[in-house]
Amino acid sequence: MDQFKQLVENRHAYAQSWKARTGGKVLGWYEPYFPEELAYAAGILPVRLLARHEPDDRSEKWMYAACYPARDILNQFLKGRYDYLDGMVTVEGCQWMYHAFESTLRSRPEFWNHYLFLPDYTDAPTSKTVLRSELQVFQEKLEAWTGRTVTDADLDWAIEVYNKNRLLLRQIYELRRAQEPVILGSEMMHLILADQVMDKAEMNEILERFLEELEQRTPHRDCIRLMLIGSETSDAALEEMAESLGANVVVDELDTGSSYFWNNVLPQKDRLMALALRYLGRPHNPIKDNNWRRRPQHIFELYEDFSADGVIIAKQIYCHLHGTDNYAVWKLLRERNIPYLFFERDTTLPEEETRLRLESFLTVVRQGATHVCGWHKTLA
Amino acid sequence: MSQGQRWKTRPLEFWAKAKELRADWQKSIEKQDKVVGQGNTGFADWSAAFPAITVIEDNPAGAMISHKNPPFARKSRLACEIRGWGREICGYHNNCWGGQFLGCQDDGTPFPYRRFVVPFPCVCDSHGKRGQQCRDFEAMPQWMADQCIYFGPRDARRDEPMLEHKTWCQLKVVNDIERIFGQPLDEEEYIRQLDTVSVVRAYAQEISVLMAQTIPTPLSVKDLYSVYTIGGLTKVNPDDTIAFWKLVRDEVKWRADNQIAAVGNERFRWIEAHPPSWHMLKYYRYLEKFGAVCLGSQYSHMMSGGLQRREDGTISGNWELEPKGTAPYPADTPLATREDIVRYSFGPDARYPYTFKIDEYLYPDKIVEFAGMMQADGALLGLWRCGVGCTMTRKEQAMRLRDAGYQVLLYEGSQPGDRTDLDEKQFFDRLDGWMESLGLERLED
Ligand code: SF4
Ligand code: SF4
Repeated sequence: MDQFKQLVENRHAYAQSWKARTGGKVLGWYEPYFPEELAYAAGILPVRLLARHEPDDRSEKWMYAACYPARDILNQFLKGRYDYLDGMVTVEGCQWMYHAFESTLRSRPEFWNHYLFLPDYTDAPTSKTVLRSELQVFQEKLEAWTGRTVTDADLDWAIEVYNKNRLLLRQIYELRRAQEPVILGSEMMHLILADQVMDKAEMNEILERFLEELEQRTPHRDCIRLMLIGSETSDAALEEMAESLGANVVVDELDTGSSYFWNNVLPQKDRLMALALRYLGRPHNPIKDNNWRRRPQHIFELYEDFSADGVIIAKQIYCHLHGTDNYAVWKLLRERNIPYLFFERDTTLPEEETRLRLESFLTVVRQGATHVCGWHKTLA
Repeated sequence: MSQGQRWKTRPLEFWAKAKELRADWQKSIEKQDKVVGQGNTGFADWSAAFPAITVIEDNPAGAMISHKNPPFARKSRLACEIRGWGREICGYHNNCWGGQFLGCQDDGTPFPYRRFVVPFPCVCDSHGKRGQQCRDFEAMPQWMADQCIYFGPRDARRDEPMLEHKTWCQLKVVNDIERIFGQPLDEEEYIRQLDTVSVVRAYAQEISVLMAQTIPTPLSVKDLYSVYTIGGLTKVNPDDTIAFWKLVRDEVKWRADNQIAAVGNERFRWIEAHPPSWHMLKYYRYLEKFGAVCLGSQYSHMMSGGLQRREDGTISGNWELEPKGTAPYPADTPLATREDIVRYSFGPDARYPYTFKIDEYLYPDKIVEFAGMMQADGALLGLWRCGVGCTMTRKEQAMRLRDAGYQVLLYEGSQPGDRTDLDEKQFFDRLDGWMESLGLERLED
């Protein structure tokens, strides 16, 4: 098992040992727009709540028809997997995730918690002022909770650590552009997931070492290059399946993938404003891409930049947000003659069905993948 | 009196007037030569102040299609699904937007293609994203806004930037519409619309309180639903709107004073949550045969701004009480500029409107308070597979109600505008079982 997959698997143990080592608090976060830097500056370890499917005999009491990422996270809380957390926070975003947050709170009222409002209309000139104000409220609440004042120096340090982390992730990610990349899609996805549950300063050291290691690696053979988009995932099962069929996911546009680290905080004197601008300006997911449709264009640019041959759109069942966005995405892909495979999944991947569909999709894609099957096809 | 009848009852007299107003409205939209936009009509009071534009809304259209024309609803949803829109988004939307591809509405008339999109701020994601369904179809001007939310009592410090944001968004809409469509906003008319809303809200509050406090209730929610769009979704001129709601209030009050019941055999009062299954409303009348009358949901009493109990135990509209809600600005607030009007329309609490949804999502235990105010005995709650906003927290509401001693029955379906998953036979069997378990026999056929 690769080291990052192991880190993801062992995330609960990691957080608990971090807590024991540092005496700090661990804060679970639900929504991808959570400004982790602020919590980190207060000496807290922010960890993303990742779905993990286990037989679910609890969440049904609280939820009906919610998507599985939300349901599985709630189930994990109800089963006590997150008992070591000190608090939880969510940001205005997807309503199913909010449901998981809300129901957890109802069943476990002892958790410290906060709901942070981040406008869905991210582009208005007033949006940043609203978010800045909400960040200020959150900062004060964190200070009261931890009994520690968050200074400008704390914020600068946190922003620096996070920016460095994003830079390292991007450096590694960019290596996937190579025709014969040194890192496969599954490993990259595990790495990004691990990053979201680790102390960033510690992760940065791991990433620096990993970058050096990559320089020594033998590149993987050129093969069909895929892009993965759709709802978030918390594993790399799909990437692994593609690899087993002779393809490689070279780029993604997932909330749990590249969108997590794509843009940096541009430091300015008003630290909270700098944070606000970073989160309002990140590659948007469907709930925030309501006004100026940036998402389809961003998908297209990534597709081109990473020379993908086809797109997999994996939507979580009951994901109403991607259910509304897909029309625009499909339209763009069709207009540009980009082959795509759409299917629905939940937090587990239906093995045989997915393999079959992927196989037949790859058969279609292979014909257009000139870099694999040759520039001059033999006439039949 | 029929079997089991305990109170006098008689048909509603305001119903004739309601039919007349509705017919006038229908005629007015049929000869519509205005620029049509997609928007939330209930919160687009400003639109009436533009003489040559009109805002129509997909939600009521989608609900109506599901009720009137199920085959078309199915066809329309399919037209959406094959193009990427998910099965799990609000059923109203796919019922309506399939018409964009099919080119027609359920009655065969040409689809009223939208030419602009105005904001749909809402805590429900499906609600918030529904401008996109025409904007993605065809390029057109679109404006956005936010439903600002925070937990806990009102916080003026947080409200301030949120209100600035909302004001900016709203001013951008009206100023841009003036520029793009070349027609001036009639500010006097805008103020008049806002004043109308305040007057109607006061009547609506009285009606809700009368329903809650009176046994037998003078009005069932089925009766309320048959008129509650008048003045809002069913646009009527301000004077007629006020006159109509006064007529309704007067009649409901008279019925309450004289113990004229909506259902003559009322013996079990029940509530529900969010909208009903518009595609199958017969369950109201069905349960009335058992003497079970529906008092509505937090949603159906939204016109009154929601209800809340005063300390002395009496009931009032939300806006009267602190700290839960904050009363709107006084009616005599000076309105010197367009910006003043916009600010006035929002009031001082940045979380306004949609109190009923905030109650359902942020405070699921509020349904227990609602059941208490309605003097309910039980609740019938729909669990919907699609349209996140319609199902959010429903399970929890059921739990809270059960814990508080209410008789709760759950049923499953797709969404209030989508009949795909609702097993009607099983649903009615469940209703029979529910009534039987409560010892309520069917009183008449
Ligand atoms: S965005 Fe989709 S997958 Fe993610 S929590 Fe929301 S509904 Fe679930
Ligand atoms: S609350 Fe329900 S009816 Fe309203 S938009 Fe959301 S899903 Fe549709």
